[in-house]
Amino acid sequence: MNKELEHQFVTDLETNQNIVHKVCTLYTNDRDSHNDLFQEITIQLWKAYPKFRGESKFSTWMYRVALNTAITLYRKSKRSIKTQDYESVIFKIKANEYDATEEEQLKLMYKAVKQLGDIDKALVFLYLEDKNYSEISETLGITEVNARVKMNRIKNKLRTILNP
Amino acid sequence: MSDELELLKKDWQKKEVNLPKLSYGEIHTMLWKKSSSIVKWIMIISIIEFLLPHLLYFLPQARNQMAIYDSVGLRFWIIGLTIIQYAVVAYFIFEFYKRYKEISVLDSAKNLMDKIIKTRKTVKSYVIFSLSLIFITMASFAFGIHLTSDLTPLTEAFEYEEFKKMEPEKLKKLLIGVYLAMAIIMPLIIGAIYFLLYGLLLRKLKKNHKELKRLEI
Repeated sequence: MNKELEHQFVTDLETNQNIVHKVCTLYTNDRDSHNDLFQEITIQLWKAYPKFRGESKFSTWMYRVALNTAITLYRKSKRSIKTQDYESVIFKIKANEYDATEEEQLKLMYKAVKQLGDIDKALVFLYLEDKNYSEISETLGITEVNARVKMNRIKNKLRTILNP
Repeated sequence: MSDELELLKKDWQKKEVNLPKLSYGEIHTMLWKKSSSIVKWIMIISIIEFLLPHLLYFLPQARNQMAIYDSVGLRFWIIGLTIIQYAVVAYFIFEFYKRYKEISVLDSAKNLMDKIIKTRKTVKSYVIFSLSLIFITMASFAFGIHLTSDLTPLTEAFEYEEFKKMEPEKLKKLLIGVYLAMAIIMPLIIGAIYFLLYGLLLRKLKKNHKELKRLEI
């Protein structure tokens, strides 16, 4: 690979690194794992970069590679915090947080999103990043209808948390 | 609810300020780090699987194998099996390479998982084939010993002094027993290690694949 391509890639990634950081924040629980996943995504992006010919925006292209790495290719799963049973999380929150202010509500929602399964997280992530359902379904390889159905289910889950 | 999710969305976009920021240099060094993706691990394990049976030939005991096969009249049977083995190995390497090449991080999540699972299935078939071959070789050996009346050439080939001292009938029973036990135990142990290894490696992928598949119903 030539120097120019290398420079172009690092510059592109440096500008758009937020996307990768956000994926890492969602899928890992500590700084070490965050950096580890960031590195793996960087390697995957770099390996695929020669195939990126600017048909889409660099950032659009990054979403797919970053999520694929986090969901499928990345070997280590988050070990530091044991994923609790979803219902038990809801229950715990119900018990301590009765009158939630906006900030607390947000905190609860973030906590709830972090507890979702890998696929659900990917859906929420793309949704929060303002992607439309056609993009979401293409990235994950499911139909648009199924993406909507799934997203509604996740919304319901989150609603249960916020309105006990 | 949509309001609350909109609230989260707004906040999510504000959060960007708090994210870590890596420098050009830091990103640049990452390009040369080694990947530890599961695809790479599948590749490494597969290469070991293809090479391992061949490395065993370098053991001194195994080099004597032909003389041992000869002594129980299995020479042509073993040569035949070896030819079949190499033909099948060549086929598997070709299939594996073809499927491995199809794996692309640019695919949709579902296609990517499908292709990794397909590649892994090729390796799985190869392992099952190899294990069956070990079983057939060992079992046919036990059968060959059973049919051989004079075991002298066999004991010569083994280079174990103890064998020469033993009573022929007892030795025959012992050898048949050992080979039959190996026919069963070897594939079982290798198979267990293999399935444990892949089970651990692909646990997360399988879970997510199931989740995506469930959406299709």
